[in-house]
Formats: sequence, C-alpha cells, structure tokens
Amino acid sequence: MSAIGKPLPHDSARGHVTGSALFIDDIPAQVGELHVGFVGSPVACGEIVRIDVKGALKTPGVVACYTAEDVAGHNVFGLIVADDPFLAREEVMYVGQPVVVVAAESPAALELGRRAVVIECRENTPVLTIEQAIAENRFLGPVRKIARGRVDENLASAPHRLSGTFKSGGQEQFYLESQAAIAYPGEQGQIVVHSSTQNPTEIQAVIAEVLGLGQHEVVCICKRMGGAFGGKETQAAIPAIMVALVASKTGRAARVIYSKDDDMCVTGKRHEYLTRWECGFDEGGQLLALRCEYFSNGGATTDLSPSVMERTLLHGDNAYYLPHVEFTGKVCFTNLPPNTAFRGFGGPQGMIVIENVLESIAEKLGMDALEVRRANVYEVSQRNVTPYGQVVDKNHLPEIFDTLTEDSDYKRRREEVAEFNAKSRLQVRGLALTGMKFGISFTTKFLNQGNALVNIYTDGTIQVSTGATEMGQGVNVKIRQLVADEFAIDPSRVLMMPTSTEKNNNTSPTAASAGTDLNGAAAVVACQEIKARLRKFAAEHLADSESGLVASPEHICFSDGSVHDERRPQVRIPFEQLCEDARRDRVDLGARGFFATPGIDFNRETGRGTPFFYFTQGAAVSEVVIDRFTGEMRVLRCDLLIDIGRSINPGVDRGQIIGGFVQGMGWVTNECLIYNEKGELLSHSPTTYKIPAVTDIPPEFHVRMFPNYDNTQNIGSSKAVGEPPLMLALSVWAAARNALSYIKPGAELDLKSPATGEEILRVLTGLQMDSKPAHSSEIAIPRR
Amino acid sequence: MRDYILIYVNGVRYQIRFPQARISLSDFLRRELGLIGTKIVCSEGDCGACSVLVGRARENELWYEAIDSCIAFLFQLDCTHIVTVEGLSKSGSMNDVQQALVDCHGSQCGFCTPGFAVALTALQENGCSGDADDMRVGLTGNLCRCTGYVSILEAGLTSHLTDDQWMDSMYPPERMLEDFYAHSAEDVVLVEEPSPQFLSKLASPASGSTNGQKAPVLPRVFCPVTLASALQVLRDSPQALVVAGATDIGVRVNKGQKLPDTILDLNRVRELEQLEIVDGRLVMGARASWTDLELLVRETIPEYYRIVKVFGAPQIRNMGTVGGNIINASPIADSLPFYFVMDAELELRSADGSRMVNINDFYQGYKKFDLQSGELLTRVTVPLPEKGELFRLFKVSRRLDLDISSFTAAIRLRLDGERIAEAALAFGAVAPTVLRARNTEQFLVDREFNEETMREAGELAVEEVTPISDVRGSEDYRLQLTRNVLMKFYLENQPDAVFV
Repeated sequence: MSAIGKPLPHDSARGHVTGSALFIDDIPAQVGELHVGFVGSPVACGEIVRIDVKGALKTPGVVACYTAEDVAGHNVFGLIVADDPFLAREEVMYVGQPVVVVAAESPAALELGRRAVVIECRENTPVLTIEQAIAENRFLGPVRKIARGRVDENLASAPHRLSGTFKSGGQEQFYLESQAAIAYPGEQGQIVVHSSTQNPTEIQAVIAEVLGLGQHEVVCICKRMGGAFGGKETQAAIPAIMVALVASKTGRAARVIYSKDDDMCVTGKRHEYLTRWECGFDEGGQLLALRCEYFSNGGATTDLSPSVMERTLLHGDNAYYLPHVEFTGKVCFTNLPPNTAFRGFGGPQGMIVIENVLESIAEKLGMDALEVRRANVYEVSQRNVTPYGQVVDKNHLPEIFDTLTEDSDYKRRREEVAEFNAKSRLQVRGLALTGMKFGISFTTKFLNQGNALVNIYTDGTIQVSTGATEMGQGVNVKIRQLVADEFAIDPSRVLMMPTSTEKNNNTSPTAASAGTDLNGAAAVVACQEIKARLRKFAAEHLADSESGLVASPEHICFSDGSVHDERRPQVRIPFEQLCEDARRDRVDLGARGFFATPGIDFNRETGRGTPFFYFTQGAAVSEVVIDRFTGEMRVLRCDLLIDIGRSINPGVDRGQIIGGFVQGMGWVTNECLIYNEKGELLSHSPTTYKIPAVTDIPPEFHVRMFPNYDNTQNIGSSKAVGEPPLMLALSVWAAARNALSYIKPGAELDLKSPATGEEILRVLTGLQMDSKPAHSSEIAIPRR
Repeated sequence: MRDYILIYVNGVRYQIRFPQARISLSDFLRRELGLIGTKIVCSEGDCGACSVLVGRARENELWYEAIDSCIAFLFQLDCTHIVTVEGLSKSGSMNDVQQALVDCHGSQCGFCTPGFAVALTALQENGCSGDADDMRVGLTGNLCRCTGYVSILEAGLTSHLTDDQWMDSMYPPERMLEDFYAHSAEDVVLVEEPSPQFLSKLASPASGSTNGQKAPVLPRVFCPVTLASALQVLRDSPQALVVAGATDIGVRVNKGQKLPDTILDLNRVRELEQLEIVDGRLVMGARASWTDLELLVRETIPEYYRIVKVFGAPQIRNMGTVGGNIINASPIADSLPFYFVMDAELELRSADGSRMVNINDFYQGYKKFDLQSGELLTRVTVPLPEKGELFRLFKVSRRLDLDISSFTAAIRLRLDGERIAEAALAFGAVAPTVLRARNTEQFLVDREFNEETMREAGELAVEEVTPISDVRGSEDYRLQLTRNVLMKFYLENQPDAVFV
C-alpha cells in the first residue's frame, strides 16, 4: 500500500484551521525582546545629506538606531552581483530603501522612534520606467540572447508580417505574512534567526557577512511561511539582517514584522516588461520567423533579474515551435525597489508575448486563434527542438490541445460566442485556448542540488529534515509521503522538521518549482541508504538455516509496516521492532542523502544547452464577458488540462493548479502597480491593489490532470507543479483580446496586460473612435 | 455610570478600562491575551485574516457575526462576546468547518485560514443557504492568495456544524445575556486616571478660563445608552469624534493617525437603529448597519441591494453604518448617488432641536458638509422610486467585490409614453462631491427616450463632471464612463436586451 498518490492533507492543516500553527509574529516574546523597524529613503534617487537619529534616541522606549556606519562586515550583498546594500550609505536608489534601523521596547515606541528619525537627501530625478531607462541606456548586467536560424531572411520572405510592442505589468507577490524575522543572540556572538524565508542558507550567509561572523556561527530556521511566491527568495534577507544586527549589538532578542504597506512599498515584485516583436507567417498561420526584444524593469539593484530574464528567453517559445527565432533580453536599471522572483520567474512575461503574437496572427488571417496555435504547437517527432537546442522529449502538447478542445466543447462555444456577440449590444464575449510548456530546473546549474537528513527512532518513527521550506505548497506532506513509501509505513509516522541550516547545509532556495524534486529525491536517497543497512540486518535476522534460507538482502521487502524475506513472506518483523533490534545491533538508523539533477547544462553565452530536466505542460480554455460600456470583465468559465506526471498528492497538486491559475488571472486582469512620478507606490495595500477575490473565480471551473506516467527520470514519475499553472491564466487575457476582436474585425488591437476594466475600455473606445473618425465623440454601437 | 466596558472572549469575562479600551480588538487578542490565531495582514479591513465572531445581544439571544478585529476598537464592543479561531471548537478538536477545510485542502500557507474558518462558521451561524452564490458573497471579506478559493468553497459547501458546535452550545448564552442586560442601562465613560501633572495644571492659575484658555480635558470615551445623553455629550464636548462602525477611523489609526482624545461612541444607542420602509420611504437610523439594510432591501429594493451587496464585505457591513457612509462624505461613497437622485432627507439633531436637510444641499465641498457643532446625523429618509420609473444604480470598480468605486452613478427617469417627464442623474468619483448633473437632467426632460437623446445626454454629462486621475482610475476613464453610462442605461432598459 503506497502512500504516494493519496490526497493527504497539508501537514499543518490542523494547525492552520485551529490557529495554532505558529508564524514568526506568533512566537511568544522573550523577556527583553526588542521591536525592530526601519526608516527608508524619502526619495527614489539621490544622495543622503544628513541622518539625524538624536530625536529618535530621545524617544522613550527607543533603545538603538543603526545606520550603515554600524555594520561591521560587508554592507553590500547579492546572489548574482553584490550590489544590494543592506542599509544605504551615501546613495539612495529607491523610495523606502532602508537607511536607519530602529529598535524599541514596544511597537508604540518603535513607531514614535521611526517618525523622529530625520533623513535629508539631495534629490535627483529618478528613472522609473522601461522607456526612460532605454532612452538613457541604463541596464543591469549583460544582454542575453537565444537565437536560431536566419530570422531576417525569413521575415523578409514571409507571406505575412506583423510587428508591435507589448507591455505586461508587474505584480506584487502579496504573500499574506509580510516579511518577518526574529533573532536570538547566542553564546560568544553566535546568532539564531527565525526567518520567513525561502532561502535559509542565503540568510545564514548574508548575516554572517554583515556581522563579520563565520557561517558556522549563524543558524537560520524557517518553520513555515505565510506565503512567499518568490518574494522571500532573496528579499527576506534585509529584515533578517536587521534583527541579527540588533540582537548582536544589544544582546537582546529582536523581532521585525513589516507592515503590509511597508512590505509592498519597499520589496521587489514581478518584473514589468516591454517587448518589441516582429514575426513572419504563412497562410495557415504557421510562424516562419519571430524576433522579440525583451526589456524588463529590474529596479535599483541586480537581485535575480538576469536569471529572470534568462527564463524569459527560454520561454519566449512557450508551447510553439519556432524555426527561425531571435530573442534578446535587457534588464533596465531604474529607481524602483529591486524586482525579484515571482512564481513563473520571467516565464509568464515571455509566454504572454507569443500568445499575443498568435492572437494577432489569427485576427489578421481571420482564423480562429486555436487553429493558429495548433499549427504551431511543438510536435512529437519533428518540429520538437527548442530555440536553445533542447529536444522537447516525451511531448504531449498536441494530445493535450486536442483533448482539451474536445473536453471544453470549444467549437460549439465558439459558435455561441459569435452568435451572442452579433446580438448583444451591451456585452461582448471572448474565448481562447492557450498552451503552456514550462522548463523544470534552476537555469543556474549549481542550484540543482538538495540534501536531506533522515533520522529513524527505535519506535519506527522518522524525522526528516531537508532544505525545502514550506510556504503552503505542501512540500512537507509530499516528502513525508515519499519517505513513508520507501519504508512502507503509514505517513503519520513521518514528521517533517523545521528547515534549519543546522540540519541541512548549503541548500538551494525553495524555488523554480523544484522543491519536491530536489529535496524529495535527496530524502529518498537517504532512505535507500538506511534501507540497505536494514536489509542486510533483516536478512540475517530472517535467515533460517533449517529451511535452507540463507541471508539475502536482495530478497528483503518493506511492505505494510513490516519487513519480510520474499521467499518466506509469512514471517514478518514489524518495522518498529526491526528498528529497535537494529539499534541494539549497532546499525546506524540515520542518513544524509544528496541529490544533484543529472544531465542538465546551459551555456548562457551561446544561449544553447539542455537547461531543463523535463517540461511540465498543459493548456487552458477561458471564456470571458466584457461590458461594452464600462470595460468591466467577468470570467465565465475555465477548463484546465495539465500534465504533472504521476501526482504524489493529488489534493495538494490540485490546490497548486487552481491557486497558481487564479494568481495568474490576477496578473493579467486586475493587479495594477501604480507609481507616482516620484517613484512612490500608490497601490500599496489591498484597498488599492486588488488580488482576485472569491467572486472572481469562474462560476464554471474544470480542472483535470492529464494522465501520464512517463516522466520516469523524476522522483516518483511526478512533475513539478508550483509555477506552471500560473501561465494557464494567459488564456484569460487571450480571451479578453478575443472578445475585443469582435468589436471591429480586422482592426489592430493594442491590449496590454493587465486587462483591467480601464484598459479594456480604453481599447473599446479607441476601436469605436477609429471606426468613425469624423465623429470622434460618438459611440459606435453595432446595429441590430 | 460605568468606567469600564464588559466583554467576553471565548467565554471568559473581562472588564476593560481606560486606556486599554482604546486599543484595537486584534491588539488586545494577540498581545494581551496571546490569542495569536487571529492574524494581521492589512490592518485596514480589506483581507479578513483578523476575522472574529462578535456575539451581540438581541431579543434575549446572542447573534454572532464576523467582523474585522483589526479595525474595531474595544470601546465599541461593550457587552459583546468575542469568539476567536481558538474558540470555534473545544481545545484539541475542530468544528465541522475546520475539519472540512482540512479535508478539502482548504489551507495552503495557512495565514488566511483562521479568518476563513471564522467567516465560514459565521455563515452557518447566520443561516447561509448553502447555495454556492451565497457562500461566495459571504466570503468576499476574506482574501486568500494560495488556494484560488475553490477548495475553501468546497469546504464551506460540505460542512455542517453539529448540534454541539453551534456557538450557543459551545457558550451557553444565558449567563452572558444576564450579565449584559444587567449592564445595558448604564452609560459608560472611560476616562484616564488624572495624573499628578494634570491635577497640578488644573490647579495652576494659568489654566483657568479667565484668560480665555480652555481648561485641560482628560482624554475620555463616552458610550451613552440614549440619544439624549449622546446629544448632551456632543453639546458639552463638541470636539468629540463621533464613532459608530469605525471602519474608516480604525484604518486611519492603524496607518498612523492619532485617535482623538475625546470620543463619542454610538454603538449602544438603540434609538439610532431604526430601519423600515414606511409609506414608500426607506427610513434608516444613522446607526443602522449595512447588514441589516442588506436584509431589508434584498427583496424590497433589489436595485439598491445590488449596490449594498458589494458594499465593503460582510465583516465591514457588520460594523459599518448607514450614517457613517454619509458623514464620511467621500465622493466615492457607494450609497450616495441613490440618495441624491431620490432627494433623500437627512435629520440632524442637537441637544437644542432638529432640522431636515435635503442631501443635495448637504455637501459643500470635498469632505465638507452642513453639520453644525453639537449636531448629529440621526436619520435618513429616502423616498423610493415609483412604479414604472426607470431606475438604475451603477458602481464600477477594479474588482467586483470589496473594492472602492472608480465611478458611481444613479439614473432615474419617469417616462410619459416615449417622452421623458422627469430625470435625475447623480455621479460619484468624478468631482469633489457626489453631484447631480442638472444641465443634463434639464436637457432630458421633454425629449424622447431614445439612443440619440441618451448619446447627446452622455456628451452633456461629461461637461458637468471634473474627475481627477488617481490610483483607482484616470480622468479619461472616468469621463468615458460618464459618457457611456447613459447609453448603457438606455440599452439595459430595452425589453430585448441581450446579456449574460
């Protein structure tokens, strides 16, 4: 009886629903614990002229204020390029950039202290937009390129050509638990930090660097996060350093909890993109050549932006074969908080561009966009090599497209939509099917490793520690199932321990959808090592000279909570007894497993290689209705079909699929980051930043997993599920565009993402004005 | 007179005095009682993570509703029973909602989950039909970023509290009710203990009224029981901040504004709760809650119900009041366009008397209105549209639910055959106050109700508004909405209109 494939609840579900699962701010305060906050730059770009903390220090209850001058070790860090200051010293690069850390006895004193800090800056004109950065030639890192074939030649000879620019907006992660950390001073300068982070190893390393400690003197622990979505991959560092600094200097425990407003104002988000594209295609809508020049808004420091851009280039093709292609990418250097990882990591920004291109082609040719997509989708034995040279192995996309077309009743609904649009003067409906292929692995090769510690106790229960952090995605219950399956015991006997750098060293961030792949595989390696020892021990135990059964570890089976020799299955040793006996026989019941993804490599200079272990694939159909007079849009129905291999936990995975999709829907519909000309974020709380609410969920919503067990190279033949579903939501955006294409067939459409009501009304109004340029103020309404 | 408020939390009794009574319920729960299951995310009543149940005495029963604890002050909650996520079930167990959330994979990261457990329990307590649409409407006050809500809805639709899991079983109400009723007749005044410095100031000659300076006043919170005593408080302390639902001031305090020293809380004044339809008029006491209004208008004024249903969220409607939305005086207040086109009458009272003001004459500029010192808004009377009148309310916001409007409008026409006999148009979010488009109204009267008329009216309306660009929409967007809404109104009123 396997634990794999069962929809077990999340391992903390009971704690979540009863309110007993502790997040950082729920940890009881230690005696003398300090409340920590910061004061940030008042301007987006400038030099610090004066920092005055005297008033703050006089505020009753304020214990300390620290600036960059108080940092003993390095004040600047960064995973790719060390250009991210912990506290700004002379130059400030974005509004709210931390300058002064304040520590106080109470939240109220902290608030008064923060207000009493004076930071004077000489203000320079900030660069905020991609367009400004391009004009001023401000970029972070090198230009990246992936290309194949002869693009110019094939553009020139193509029967049809189109070109344009496309903009997609940024997106706030909107994890519910804001950035948070607590530091406890240890003996002899050592520090223990509890951080809401996807990357404990990084937190450990930067704290050691900033405090001038050895990494062995810092422990970082993460029990769970109240959501992360990429936003706590690098950006949990600054708050963690703040409390480590305070704890180290004062010898008192220190806690920082960002308010939602502060968090949204000063931390990085999904990169906004501007893409210039041109394409050539034939009568059947097949792409002959595509060129895309991607520009992302990187913000003020490098952070992960080059890697995000790399993933954009690696996903510019999405699910479609491109014979001649050139993708180039540049990261714009602006005065916004450093943009960072967010579920999809540049993939969505690349994929939405080609989906827009395919919709444009369909409109130009007067074809159904599904036919255009079907003509371009990666095939199985030919037309199956990506622009960077990796073969799309075990490709199921054509099958997924056809199955979903059928299951979603696409063709009938297409007719219905057309009929409705011809009749309704109030509304217009749209329908679209988009594909999704997402490469699994970190594109930075060395990160594709994981280690795990498996400790078995003499009652047959097991503690597992890995580098995977639990942010809600259910990695813990999945690893629990994998480990239980190895020993054929009930999953309740396996417990996942808080992620700690003390147990697992040099771990990769829990990111790139690879948490279970890497850490689950490492845990299984550890289990197998222990099993080998237990097999040997059990073989001797179960050997029976009388019946001529010689000890043979190969014949030892773990099943149903016990161990037996398959040649004599009637004799079984319960697992717990085996463990007890093994210990008494001095058999080691603990092991550390290590896993490194085999066979992947990518040369960023040439833009060629095999960066991905495999691809998660899928497709989605969405239908929307738009109010012709207000631009308001509702999503009526969605059908998702996704290949995630053999699901380790269908309950958890379904949650990832739906949750990811809805998050993507937010990105392409209502989530808008609005900055003023000074670089201050105006939409910095849920009052003004609108993530999908329960009533935005399509009333008809079908989610299916494509049955597929052929991903045998990955743990349990599963496929990663964290990020890919987000990009199924491109179908919602495409459906909005499709609806607008009915207003004035053949007209050029310029719909940005997100397709907010305002954006849609802008396009609607433009289309109607164009149709009657002589009476520009008139509203054109289709005649009945 | 009492100098404390009486409150029960998960069945345990507390008496809370000044200054503690001025803190938010969520701070009290988390910091003072260690009930950390209640989570804080936005501190502005927009995410529902801090949801708790509040049980209020009504007709010898305790009625439980969900509220956002982060924007409720303790002083608003005298004689209530608060149930937090920890109190939904007996220690070590789960109620059926919680069990269903576990079984349906309704939690992922878990940070919003306590709020959902509370909101779902509240829905059952309030007799939610169990219909999927009602369930959605009931959960609009809770945001989740992980699940996409489907699993949470499934949990809601499949769970049924068992007999021993209802609040009245978990917390027998008799003893609490007895306690509440025993304390319900007394005014509450929460006042700071005078410090020696304060007393010395009082004693010093400089503080006397002789030199024109006001005597120092101790910070205090008045929670009177009767309207008369509330008006007396206002006469004596005209500077007092009047608080009812606090759904706005609660947010502002969380975002750094100081809570004024003197507060008049109206939560105990029953006389202001009136809510009924009399002789074709909707009569609302200023402190009538949005939830009660929602129940009343659902069947009786379906057009207004469409707006009320998306006003804030259940947690906000359970605290927020009809009068609060008027006195908050926002040009984007959802209720106002309706009142404007109906020429609603406001009753303003002071200790000296009362007067009536047409709402169209009430607002004088951005957040400025005709309320004199010592006056209190006590009642709103809205004549209802007559049969045969065409009447529509519009709210455009980025998100359908729990969103502040980018644009609002109300249109009311009386037709005489094909001819427009009377017209009233009101627009919100396009000027410093909600406004009536008088020129456009005049234009419409005596014209034929057709596309041409409405198209021209749209162009005229645009001339009457002066929108700005802000985080909720650009000037162009608002102008276009103003222009379009008249044609939308026309088409929606055609018998053969086709829409989803």
